[in-house]
Order: sequence, then structure tokens, then C-alpha cells
Amino acid sequence: MDLSGKFYKAFTDRQAAIEKQYNPKQAEKQHSKGKLTAHERINLLFDNNSFEEIDAFVTPADQPVEFGKVERSYGDGVIVGHGKVNGRLVFAYAQDFTIMGGSLGIVHAKKIAKIQEMALKMGSPIIALIDSGGARIQEGVASLSGYAAIFQNIIHSSGIIPQISVIMGPAAGGAVYSPALTDFVFMVNHTSYMFVTGPNVVKEVLNEDVSSEALGGAEVHARKSGVAQMIYDDEENTILALKKFLSYLPSNNVENPPIVADDGSIGEINEKLRDLIPEDPNKAYDVKDVIAQIVDRNSFFETSALFGANLVTGFSRLKGKTIGVVANQPKVLAGVLDIDSSVKGARFIRFCDAFNIPIITFEDVPGFLPGVDQEHAGIIRNGAKLLFAYSEATVPKITIILRKAYGGAFIVMNSKNLGGDFSFAWPSAEIAVMGPDGAVAILYRKELAESKDPVELKKELVKKYRDKIANPFIADESGYIDEVIDPAVTRKKIISALNALNNKWVKVPARKHGNMPL
Amino acid sequence: MAVTKIKRILIANRGEIAVRIIKTAQLMKIETVAVKTAVEPNAMYLSSADVIYDDSEDSSEIPVFLNIEKLIIIALETSADAIHPGYGFLAENAYFAQKCLDNKLIFIGPSPDAIYKMGNKTIARKIALAGGIPMAMGSEGNIANEEEAALIADKIGYPVIIKAASGGGGRGMRIVRKAEEMEKMFIIASKEAEKAFNDPSVFVEKYIENPKHIEFQILGDTKGNVIHLGERECSIQRKHQKLLEEAPSCALDEKLRKTMGDMAVQIAKAVDYYSAGTVEFLLDSDKNFYFMEMNTRIQVEHPITEIITGLDLIEQQIRIANGEELKYKQKDIKLNGWAIECRINAEDVQAGFAPDPGKIESLNMPVDTYVRIDTGVQSGSSIVASYDSMIAKLIVRGKDRKDAIKNCKMALDKVWIKGTKTTLPFFRLLVRHPKFQDGTFTTSFIEKDLEKYYFNSEYEEMLAAWLATKLFIEENLNDDSINVNFEHGKDMSPWLLNKRINQF
Amino acid sequence: MPNDKLQIKKLYALSSENRKFSFSLPLKHTIRIGKRDYEVKLKADEKYGTYILWKNRKYPVEIIRSSQNKYEILFNDISYTFTVETPFSLKRMKVLNSKLGKIEKEIIKAPMPGKIIDVLVREGSSVLRGEPLVILEAMKMQNEILSPVNGIIEKVSAKPNTNVMKDDLLIEIKL
Repeated sequence: MDLSGKFYKAFTDRQAAIEKQYNPKQAEKQHSKGKLTAHERINLLFDNNSFEEIDAFVTPADQPVEFGKVERSYGDGVIVGHGKVNGRLVFAYAQDFTIMGGSLGIVHAKKIAKIQEMALKMGSPIIALIDSGGARIQEGVASLSGYAAIFQNIIHSSGIIPQISVIMGPAAGGAVYSPALTDFVFMVNHTSYMFVTGPNVVKEVLNEDVSSEALGGAEVHARKSGVAQMIYDDEENTILALKKFLSYLPSNNVENPPIVADDGSIGEINEKLRDLIPEDPNKAYDVKDVIAQIVDRNSFFETSALFGANLVTGFSRLKGKTIGVVANQPKVLAGVLDIDSSVKGARFIRFCDAFNIPIITFEDVPGFLPGVDQEHAGIIRNGAKLLFAYSEATVPKITIILRKAYGGAFIVMNSKNLGGDFSFAWPSAEIAVMGPDGAVAILYRKELAESKDPVELKKELVKKYRDKIANPFIADESGYIDEVIDPAVTRKKIISALNALNNKWVKVPARKHGNMPL
Repeated sequence: MAVTKIKRILIANRGEIAVRIIKTAQLMKIETVAVKTAVEPNAMYLSSADVIYDDSEDSSEIPVFLNIEKLIIIALETSADAIHPGYGFLAENAYFAQKCLDNKLIFIGPSPDAIYKMGNKTIARKIALAGGIPMAMGSEGNIANEEEAALIADKIGYPVIIKAASGGGGRGMRIVRKAEEMEKMFIIASKEAEKAFNDPSVFVEKYIENPKHIEFQILGDTKGNVIHLGERECSIQRKHQKLLEEAPSCALDEKLRKTMGDMAVQIAKAVDYYSAGTVEFLLDSDKNFYFMEMNTRIQVEHPITEIITGLDLIEQQIRIANGEELKYKQKDIKLNGWAIECRINAEDVQAGFAPDPGKIESLNMPVDTYVRIDTGVQSGSSIVASYDSMIAKLIVRGKDRKDAIKNCKMALDKVWIKGTKTTLPFFRLLVRHPKFQDGTFTTSFIEKDLEKYYFNSEYEEMLAAWLATKLFIEENLNDDSINVNFEHGKDMSPWLLNKRINQF
Repeated sequence: MPNDKLQIKKLYALSSENRKFSFSLPLKHTIRIGKRDYEVKLKADEKYGTYILWKNRKYPVEIIRSSQNKYEILFNDISYTFTVETPFSLKRMKVLNSKLGKIEKEIIKAPMPGKIIDVLVREGSSVLRGEPLVILEAMKMQNEILSPVNGIIEKVSAKPNTNVMKDDLLIEIKL
């Protein structure tokens, strides 16, 4: 085609202008901060040549500017479009920090809203690559209204399409609520921050010195606040992990997740599982070792690994099909449930439920974490979230009791009477109202007080309690669990249970929505 | 004295030494009894014993091999007429030996009196002193507290070593180089001694810097004959734990061998020693030697002596226990060739030899004329935290030292162990080290002369890096669209689809 | 849109001792020594488990741990830790390292599971390299955990008579 004709003159001029706008010098500026440019991020995320950008040539709103100035630029600091990620349609927007600090003006916001609405219409996942200084001050209230529209769209799409935010630079002020509303937040160590009020305001109001990193760095949000579910050391690993993460998720809430071929190296009968639980009931072990021996090889993708680590959550696959895994972690705080882990578990379960992902629970829980701190901070209110989420979920729910299953925590962790579909127990399971030590101390208080050798008597009673009460056989014989199984056949049992539950459907009474104890 | 011959032996031990004893017993047509424990119900030593006593119901924390009363009962119940204690556990417990005799059981080892005298380091020192055996200067007996220790140390000069009176195997032992360290070290040594041997008493002696560890194998019968079977060098040790032993030692010539051997025999005779025993010496750089202690049991490293003398030491122990007279005089003992033993333990050399218990997933040992393997584990066995971390002893022979090292190097590359980390990389380093090859190493070799504790060829790290990269690619850069089936999303049962849609 | 392709053409495996091994993509199944390429094969069977076959020799391998781009591999009984980096992430690492500066803290973790017998230092006290900090009993052996650095004890998390797991935090030393 000949592009020298007069029709094409304007067209090629514009092409040249945009080439100039995204020049190597701008890129070098980003690189020198250890960051990639918006284009590089998009290219890394999408399959070769599959990304189609829209609205590349829009310009900032033409408003009389009386304070500061708005740079003329194409695209208004955000790239939006769609393309294929591992062969599947995905929508995305990437803020461009090299143009006015990625600040959000009204045109910028409208571009994002447009792509959000398209993603919802097509039932495709949407990815937000965030690197923005916040609302564009020069554009005033218009940019704020832009944020509101974006929030509204996220809330509309919530539970219909997966929405994922990747924080690759600053996200400050009201802007933080856009990632907070999405399903999952990825952050990059050392180069991304999130806070409602930044270090300067903290200094001004409270006279406290704090760095951006210590206030709202990736590590803080992954470990302490729980805002970020996944953090990585660099942008490439973040995006590669995001691509992998997407392969676990369905495109929307009426499609099933994709199937990823299993290499078959984890056999249906796996004798290694028999040796994983230590003989000593007070000894810790890593529940992730148990998970790894049951699910498809290397398929476990942990979410919120650092937050509430006493409960492990994550996606995995069985025979190629996505499952959600929730497991008590005996290695951390003996696997007790506390506020953080309850909230983490509840949110994960609700995501699985919204997107038709079966939930497999591995249980080894001694109870709820006791203490004034926990009670005053609302373990009742927060523990109830986990209970609510489990009970409310209508996806297939399967529990495997590995060891301890005591008291209220046993009920909460997807017990059969709470709507669990299948409940299996390993022979090492201890199912009872409370642990041997506590039970013996209450039931035999008098005998122990009067005994000449209370230590020896207690030891004897504990052993008796373990033999008579704290085992899986009583619960099995009375139907509170479905079957006591040989650990080696766990994978086989779960797969056949999932097959049986393939077409599970539960009629929920009509209502606007339940009132979860938020 | 009418002697009833041993017909059935209770093995009061586990692991490779239990296997080793059963092997000789079978050759001698003697039956064996092994004890099955809760910790190792599928252990290898159980498979070759004639009688298994099942003690796996006992869940007490103290191993049965330390429970004197119970072992006696087991021996009587299974009609064993003798007990072999192996090494470790109750092997050097005089009370146990006495209990055996009280119950008309033959204890395959020395007399309770000899065990007691040599087991108590302060008494042993007195006996050696009386016999004019050279010894490091030190305290007359046990010392009460750190002040007394400091006083003695001032007299004999630093560095000194604090040792547990009832000790052995490196526990309860601390070197003190400066007066300021005395208090801390005294407390550590004493605490450790109490924990390990139920006896907090310790003594102090001059610490010989950079010595070689030379020990003599002794055999004595109940008729008063005592001979030695030459020496073993065990200078390759870490924190007083032996890792590699060889026999003979390149530090000794015929003359020194005779002098030291005679001294060893003399010490044994002083306590009317019978059965197999070991007299340990330190040898300094000027070839002065000092008596250290006598071990009144079969040693872990006994196979290398068996290789160069052609004797079966377990057989000799049993014959002596039977009351037979030694068939050999000192002049009959000839040392032929060279033998090296590597203790392959489940330890992480990169983490400072920290124990690394776990399940042995696969184990393949070299089969060659110059290799002997003594082991108590096989593929599928577990190395449990409650016992020692030994997997196997790789024993290699050669016509001389150089030949033995060469064979050892080859054998090390043929050992295949998966499941736990092992000391193999350490031995691979050792056999290549010039100081090991020329024989100038001392007991401080590992601490002083080694910068790292393992050997890897320059390509091994590259191959590992290649594997890491391959895994990364498989996990992250694979063109997943080949494996990911998105069509599955649409492949939904109409029944379910209908229900789901109507729900909204 | 400008066509600034970010195709990853090369990967680097960076060892914990900062040795760098580079591999171009697609990954070749050969390792070059001098002028010859030798084939590398990753295999597994019943008798030997997983192994790498190279130059007619089998090397046992095991993947101990992997998280993100970090891989701990046991190769012929020696464990290696690598981070796999792309050309850009390597550059980024350099940028950040120069910005973040040096580490100021040494964290002492339990090298093995066991029981704390004694804690020999207090918060605020100064320690010299090689001085014992904690006595940890494992497999019936009392192990002194020595200070790898000179510094001041900032935090003591180890408590006597408690059990610890491998890698549990024991002591923090300020340099």
C-alpha cells in the first residue's frame, strides 16, 4: 500500500509523533528506577503481537488550566486494550509513569472505564497495571469523578469476571481503593507502594518519620496488612507469575477454569503420604508437603503466603482441573485460627465460590488462638467470617482431617454439618471437643488435685483420652465424617469425590444478599 | 572351668553393628535375637536375626537398648545365653556387664571391673601413671568447680581441655585457651556431661595442640594373654567425632609401633583385660605420645583392622567370651596392605555437619573386590533423629596407602544415596586434599586446613544451574497455550448451565 | 504503538555466592566444555530416582525448594541455591542494590530442629565472631551456635527449654 498519498499524510505524521513520545530516553528513565515501561509490561504480559491498543491517540481534556499545566500527550498516560494471554482473551490497562507521572485525568479515567465495561461485556478477566502518582491535581474534581467511575465498574464486575491489580509503582490516596476492590493484588518489592496517606502527611499530622517502603511497601502489605496477596522481587517475575496465576482462573463466573494437562507423576496411590505426619502429636510439620504429594505436580500456587501464614490458601489442580486449597499450617502457630487467618481464608473461599472453583480443606487445627489481644480485636466477629464463607459457599467442598480437629475450629473448618460435601479423615485424626490436656484437666480436676503423682496420672489419662475419644473412628461410626482413609489414597478419594460433585447445584433462597459479619 | 558354649546371643543394639554381629554369628552357627523397637519397626537388622523380640509397643522415651532390666528380661525370655552390647548404648556400662553375670548370661566384652576402671577417666589415669605410661599433665582427679580448674590450668599452662570423667565420643569435652573462657566452658562441659552420662564430674588436662589420634586394637583372653593388632589412625575428626579412619598409620614406623603397642598391651594387662578393646593415644609432631583413654568395647572402625590383619574381631570376641584361648601370639600378627573407612552419615556438610535425618529413598553401594560395606539401612529405611546418623561405612582396601586412596576415590563416586544429605561430598574433598594424601594432617585438620567442607567439580554447579534454569522455563516461559485447554470452559453440562443462569 | 518487544532471549542463574551462569533461549540440552558440547539428560527411574546423566555419569538431583525465581537444588549431595534472572531483572537488581545499600543486620536462625538448652547472650551485649550464642540440642548432641560476625545483640528470640524448628529465628545481631 502506498502511504504517501494525501489521505495518509496526517495518518503517518501522527504515527511518527507517537513514536517520538515513547522514546528510548523516557524508557531509560523508568529503567534507571528498576522499572519497566508500560509498553514493556504489556508486551511481557500478552502473547506475541496479540495486544490491540485502543484510544492510543486521545489527548488530555481541554480545560482552561489556571493552576499548573497539563502536558500535551497522546494517550493521556494510560495504555488500554485487549489481547491474548496464553491464548485466552484478556483485557488490561497499564498506567504510564513517564507521562505526567501516570496521573489520572478525566480522559485517562474514561479510557479505563471503557475497557472495564468491555471486559464485563465479553466476560473476560481484566488486569490493571498500576504505576500512577494519583489524581491529576490540575484537573480538579473531574479526576475524582473519574476514580468514582472506575470503582463503580470494579464493584459491578466483582464476582463476574476475575479482576487483578498489579502495583508496579506508587498508588496513593483514593487510588488505592481501585486495587483494594479487585480480587487479587500483586506487588513488586522495593518499587511499589500503596498508602492512603503518604509519608509526608504522616510527618505533618503525627510528626512521625516513616519511609514509603516501611509505610506501604510490598513486604508490609504482604505480611502485615494483607492488602497484597502476591509479591515478587522484580517486574518480570511478577508478570510471569501473573500469567501463571491466570491459568487457574475461569474467564467469568459461568465458565469453568481451563484445564492444564497433568504429567501424571503424582500417582493415585502415594505411599509417601503415610510418613508425613509425625508420630508425636505435638510435633509440627509443613502442610504444604502434604499438599504437594496430593495435587498435580508443582501445581500449587499459594496466595497470601506471608499473611496469616497459620492458614495456607492457594490454587492448585487435580487431574488438570482447578481447585482452591485451604489448609491449617501446623508449622506456624501450631495451625491455630486467629483474626488474620480467618479473614484471609474467608476472602479466598468467597472468590472460589464466585468462580465455581471447588474447595479442598486440609484440617489440622488445635482451636482458635486464645488471648486478650485476639478477643478484643474481635476474633468472634472475624472468625464468624470464615464460618459464614464456608457455609455460604455452594461449590463442591471436601475436607480431609489430617490430625487435630478440635472444638469450634473443627466446626468452622468446613465440617459436614456446615454443608461440607465430603469429609475424610486420616487415621492420625483426633476429632473431639477439645485437646487431651484440656479435657483431662477439666474432667478429672478433682482426681488430679488429690493424686499423689498428678503428672503420672495426667499422662495416663491423656493416653486414655487419646485412645478412647480423640480418634477418627467414633466420628466415622456415628456418621459425622464419611470415611477414615489410608493417607496413600487421598488423591484418588478427592478426585472421585469431585467427579461425583461435578454437577452440584444448590438452590439458595431468593434474597438480595446475605449479611456477612464484615 | 567348664565352659558352656554360646548358642544364642541377644544383640543389645541396632543398626549396622547389629547386622555385623549377626553376620559373624551365622558363620559360627550361633543363633541371634534382635529387638524390634517402635522407632524402627522395619529396620534392616531385624531381617537377618533368628529370633525377633517385639518391643514396638513400648513407647517410652528411653530406648530399650539403654534399659538394663528390660534387656536382661528379654535375654532370659528368649533363652539367649549371651549378650553382645555392640558399641554405644550400654557397651561400656559396668553395671550392665555385672547384671548379665548375675543372671548367668555371658557378657560379650571385658569384665565389669575392667569396664569400670577404664570407664572412669580419673582411675584410668592413675593406673596409667602407676605403669609409667606417658600422659598429658592434668588434674589428679575430678575437679569441683571452675576456680579449681583455673588454678590447675594456670599451673600446667593454657590451652587445657576439660573432659567428662565418664565421657567418650566427644561429649562433655571443651578446649579452653584463655583464663577468661574457663567459667563458660566449665559450665558447658559439666552440663553436657551430666546430660550425656548422668555424671557432671569433669577433669582437666593439658591440651596437646595439633596431635594425631592413634589407637591400638587389643585382644585379650581370659587366660591372661593380651596382644595388639596394630594401630588405626583416626585424626580426621570434627568436634571429636571421627569421620574417617585408616589402618595402619603413616605416622608410625616399626619401632614406634612396637613401643606404643607394648604400652597398650601393658595398660590392658594392668586391668586383666579380656575381649576386644582399644587404647587411644595422642601423638604430637615430635612423635611423643600420650595415653588418652581405653575403650572397652568393639569400635565403629574395627573393620579396617580386620582388613589388614585378616581376623574377624566379632568372632574373636565370641571365642574369648566362650573361654577359648587366643590362637595368636603377637608375632603371628602381620599387617597386610592398607584400609580406609569413611563414615557415611546423614549429615549436611554445608550446614556444618548438622544431622539431616530422613528416609533413604534409594541406596546403591559399589560392589568391588576392594570394597566392603557395613550398613544397617537399605532403600526405604529411615535415619531417625533419636539414634546416630550413620548410613553406612565404606571400607576400602589397597596394597599401600596410595592405592587405598585411589580405590577410595573411585568407590566414593559409585555410592548412590538419595533422600538425605550425606557426608559423601566431604570425603570426595578429603581424598583429593594434598595434606590428606601426604599424611601430614592432624586432628585439627578440618577446623584449620579446610575452607569448605565439600568437593564439587567445576561442572557440577553449572549442571545444577542448568537444571534451575530449565525448571524456571518450564514453570514460567512455557508456551502454556499448548497445554491450557480453554475450550473446557464452554464444555459445561446443560443441566448445570441452566441452573446457574436461572439463579441470576 | 511502538514495537519495543520485550522477548526474553537469555536467562541467568545466579548462585548464592554470586556466580553467574548464562543460558540462551531456547534452552539447549547440552553443556559446552571448551569446543565440545556434551549432552545433558534429566532422567528418573525406580532404582535411582531422579538424576542427571552427563558424560556417561549419573548425578543424583533433587529439587529441595522453589519459590518464585529461587531454586534450591541438591546435586550430587551438595545443595545450590540459584535465582533465575532475566537480563532486565539483573539490571534492576544492580540499580536497587546501589540504592538500598548494605545489610546492617545478621539474623541467626536455627540450623536444625532441636531444643534450646541455654542462651548465652543478652540483648544489648556485644559479641565477637566465633563466640557461642545459643546451645541447641539436637540428636542428643549439644551444639553451640556461634556468632558469624562481630556486633551487638539486638534481639533474642530463643528461650531456654523450648523446641525450635529449622530456620526459626534465634538471635538478631546489629553490625
